[in-house]
Amino acid sequence: MKTFKTGGIHPPEQKLTSGKAVEVMPLPPELAVSMSQHLGKPAKPVVKVGDEVGKGQLIGTADGFISANVHAPTSGKIRAVKPHPHPGGQYSMTVFITPDGLDKWQEGLNTPEIDWKTLSKEEILRRITDAGVVGMGGAGFPSGVKLSPPKDKTIDTVILNGAECEPFLTADHRVMVEEPEAIVKGLEIITHLFQGKARAVIGIESNKPDAVAALKKHAEPKGIEIVTLETKYPQGAEKQLIDAITGRTVNEGELPFDKGCLVHNIGTAVAIFDAVCRNRPLIDRVVTVSGMEIRSARNIRVLVGTKFSEIAAFCGSMTEKTNQVITGGPMMGKAQFSLDVPVTKTTSGILFINNIGLEKSGEKTCIRCSRCISACPQNLQPWLLANTAQLRDFESIELYGMSNCTECGSCSYVCPSKRELVHWIRFAKTLAGKRKQRQSA
Amino acid sequence: MYSETFIPAVASLGSLALVLGIIILFVSRKFFVAEDPTVSMINALLPGVNCGACSFPSCNQFAEELVRTRNPAMTCPVGGGELASKLGTALGITMAEPKPVTCVVLCQGHNGNARESAQYLGIQDCWAAAQTFAGTKQCRFACIGLGSCIAYCDFNAMRIENGLVVIDRELCTGCGACIPACPYGVLAMQEKKTERYFIACSSHDRGADTRKACDAGCTACQKCVKECPEQAIVIDNFLASIIQEKCTSCGKCIEVCPTKVNCILRVRDLDSVKSKKAS
Repeated sequence: MKTFKTGGIHPPEQKLTSGKAVEVMPLPPELAVSMSQHLGKPAKPVVKVGDEVGKGQLIGTADGFISANVHAPTSGKIRAVKPHPHPGGQYSMTVFITPDGLDKWQEGLNTPEIDWKTLSKEEILRRITDAGVVGMGGAGFPSGVKLSPPKDKTIDTVILNGAECEPFLTADHRVMVEEPEAIVKGLEIITHLFQGKARAVIGIESNKPDAVAALKKHAEPKGIEIVTLETKYPQGAEKQLIDAITGRTVNEGELPFDKGCLVHNIGTAVAIFDAVCRNRPLIDRVVTVSGMEIRSARNIRVLVGTKFSEIAAFCGSMTEKTNQVITGGPMMGKAQFSLDVPVTKTTSGILFINNIGLEKSGEKTCIRCSRCISACPQNLQPWLLANTAQLRDFESIELYGMSNCTECGSCSYVCPSKRELVHWIRFAKTLAGKRKQRQSA
Repeated sequence: MYSETFIPAVASLGSLALVLGIIILFVSRKFFVAEDPTVSMINALLPGVNCGACSFPSCNQFAEELVRTRNPAMTCPVGGGELASKLGTALGITMAEPKPVTCVVLCQGHNGNARESAQYLGIQDCWAAAQTFAGTKQCRFACIGLGSCIAYCDFNAMRIENGLVVIDRELCTGCGACIPACPYGVLAMQEKKTERYFIACSSHDRGADTRKACDAGCTACQKCVKECPEQAIVIDNFLASIIQEKCTSCGKCIEVCPTKVNCILRVRDLDSVKSKKAS
């Protein structure tokens, strides 16, 4: 079985919802659609308070090269446009829609499926960009930008990321089991954009045998390889996945296309298929609602903009013992400060957790056990980075490879002294960036 | 009887000390740097905390620059008027007197006023907390209260009290080192006055949101704007601010402010200015 070379850990899998089919959540009473659902500049709202919008209508346009369109997830009336808490941990401009209950598509959208082979490459790219498709694994990089790499780079391998290495999360797993045809078509569209010569691979961790079987049936006749990967965290990180499948190493300052690779998430492939063949913008996604403290853990298909509090109510409410709500997986996800935050295009999971006794609050000194060094998949020395960050020495920390850290959290997980290694590195990244800005100003 | 053991030791080390002493004497004569005695005299007058408020990295460099240029506009905000007159007499020029300034906290959201949104368990540093979410308090403009600014204060004038940074006006010299240390820009500098009024709130949220998050927040109700006879209060983006040059310290704004805990603060600075000069 293939895997990446250095580091990695194996936390308890806790895939409580892997056998549960995706349910569609009913329309909530209000939707808070954030304008910042992707990497890069937030979209510019193009609707006013009181406007009537149709399902799928454009409500925010991409502002700049690295940005993405945002669409109305349902038909209704705009109630407000104001800053609102965002699951990323800040406030962002948000459009509030009161649904009219009709859920009526705007004309020309959600059309019957057409064959993508009839469309030109420019038309395919335009449809993907217009539909606001972004990477749905977590980072939210606009797919239209990712699919048009610089002219001098040749892409020879297109990888679909079905590793889903985070504990608890099963959203991609369920999509692979339930919609293998859409995934295969989405991948075919991506390879078509690169002359169809690129090798197409889907990487899946070995703990999802049903997904491997479902995809094999549909993918192998089309010449798409299915690679079973070892169950190991962080197998689904872009750099680690490229290493595991092709054996190439993406070095500091390089992007995957420098090594001829292109990695997309499973959910993104489905969104690309929907955008190209059905003219359907990205307005909903599959979210895993899990954790020990939610009464009925399940996978649900929710509209973008649904508030976490409504999702908790739909899933049988959380218990009184809940003291942490995390968006994303437990390793890289973010703890939330409010249940008013909405689902965005990048929310892969919502976890309701009781971590009393497990908090990382009591940081102790480093005992030089070097477990973080063994665990780091990027060949860094996390203890050294954290110590340097504590000393606020932002010059040396660059030399120790701070920018190579992908913040996967393996080091914090294994640290016996409960040190906040990743948080210190993130802290240093923010302050080093500020320092550079001030110096250049 | 031990002479054969210690005589060679004393002799060799003694000769070594003699040779090295001669070298030191030679080097100190050869490479002697004449230092201007005025610089060291001026340096002795300066506070000597190297706070950087004068835009020089150290007090010594300020002294060197002052002696070299004899520029009367150069001021040490920490020393104030008293130091300016001392420097003036020492150099035989009339030095400009710096305006007495002080640091103010534009937030009253201590744990009694502001409501908490979530508990924060990570690194105890404001910048680390600010990147996880918009502060531990519901208000996204509030003082986080983890005290990253305290390390920047050379005069021990800051402390955290009940989740809010408090400035000791007797100790604050107005050097301004703490201002960039705050991720939310809660700290600001203000000129000292006999009686000074300012809005102690930074929240640009709409009135209803501000009130939900804090008892002492400015809700931009416009009452003080209408009341002010000098038109010294303006509201920008849901936050009032008092233009200090226009303010005549009549105190009418405080009477009409409808917030539960008054968001306008009155401070008497003159006493503290005087007591500093006396000491």
